[in-house]
Amino acid sequence: MAKPLVFDFRGELIEAALEKVDRSKLYGYAETEVHDDAGRPCELATLIGDGHSIAGKGGIALAYLSADGLWRTRAELRPVDLHGKPITPVKSSFDAPIPLDATSGVDDFLSHNIHLIYQILPVADATGLLAELRAGTIYRFPFSYRGGVQASPAFLLLGADGNPFLCVGTPTAIDFVGPAAPPPLADDTAEADAEEDALDFSLV
Amino acid sequence: MPEISLSDSKGRDAAVSAETVRVPVRIRMVDESGRQAVTARILKGTIDRDHAALLARAGAADKLADALVAGDPELDVETAGSFLRDTSRVYVNSDRHVVHAVSQVEIVRNTDGTEKLRRPKKIAITNVSPDRPLLWSGKLLPKREAFNKFAMVSKLQVVHVNGLTYHFLFGIARELEAKDSLLVVGAGPKANQPLILRRGAVPYRGFLEGRTRGDEYLLILHLSNIELKAPDIKPAPEVKPS
Repeated sequence: MAKPLVFDFRGELIEAALEKVDRSKLYGYAETEVHDDAGRPCELATLIGDGHSIAGKGGIALAYLSADGLWRTRAELRPVDLHGKPITPVKSSFDAPIPLDATSGVDDFLSHNIHLIYQILPVADATGLLAELRAGTIYRFPFSYRGGVQASPAFLLLGADGNPFLCVGTPTAIDFVGPAAPPPLADDTAEADAEEDALDFSLV
Repeated sequence: MPEISLSDSKGRDAAVSAETVRVPVRIRMVDESGRQAVTARILKGTIDRDHAALLARAGAADKLADALVAGDPELDVETAGSFLRDTSRVYVNSDRHVVHAVSQVEIVRNTDGTEKLRRPKKIAITNVSPDRPLLWSGKLLPKREAFNKFAMVSKLQVVHVNGLTYHFLFGIARELEAKDSLLVVGAGPKANQPLILRRGAVPYRGFLEGRTRGDEYLLILHLSNIELKAPDIKPAPEVKPS
């Protein structure tokens, strides 16, 4: 029996399964086939700095090095914040009921970049919770799928199609600016025609 | 994303700045003495010593197994574990040779995986730049109706570059706030094309949100490439294994 996510809604425990929603499930997806001039299939690889050695898939690894340049395993390291204070790792959100005791507003929700969407499929009766979501309530809580260093802000809300969704996001650094604000710094780190009255999201 | 050109409801346009709003990483990994560790990319092995290459050289799996027991043919002690700097992405063919001229075909598939069409792959060309103003579409979506219809996966904050553009952007923010709506932002003469902010980048639908506080304003260009809706075909729900 797979483990469901459990919400604590006013003392009532509501079990729910998650179904990940992404573009491939909504609009399909695109693959790219690459061939050389002889029609042979090609794949991406990494040309090393020596100019002739090539690393293929799985040929490169990330390693932790100490300040002295010595190998360190992940287990030998601990996470700290910018001030050096230890960060307590979080457990998986599946390990304990998630209390729905904090709500959020539309502005707060829109201030986050949403990078994961799950459709919520209540296993049993969730009439009370769904009624609250239909009234426009957005619940906010920290969420971590597998546990780890930090949880991400997550929002439980009703989608415009009437289904409940769990949206996992990241906060952003938006802030009000006034006339006295300094000129913005140049920043280069960021990253089909459509019907006039319809927003076409199947951009593949 | 340094500069974009934006139009207001009066048809005026101005070049302004669109800044990234990503929050920098606030976690450091330290060792037992409290000193910060850094990550480094290292080489594990090259393709002339991976499984396929060794198997081709040995001729059979049992001979490869014997070779692995007898020695370390998979390991080049000169390069294994070396730090990687100044690398390049290249294509290699089935003979493991670097290919300098390739043809790319894009295969578009439906949600069930069936093939929809094949076409030569094209690199998306940017359609957002200071010399191409993003026109005022006039299409306003009430915030209460839009927030749960589209997933805003990224955003840029639009800010002024001088006193004139401060008043210009403040006016847009106040107008959108008064209407409690998001303005649909698109490229092209009809303001209906997806925004391609960089060459080869993901196309996004844009939604402009404005807020004000005293003489301050907040103008956010939300970017979305997915709607918040359930798929038509429902596969087995994803749950964490117990």
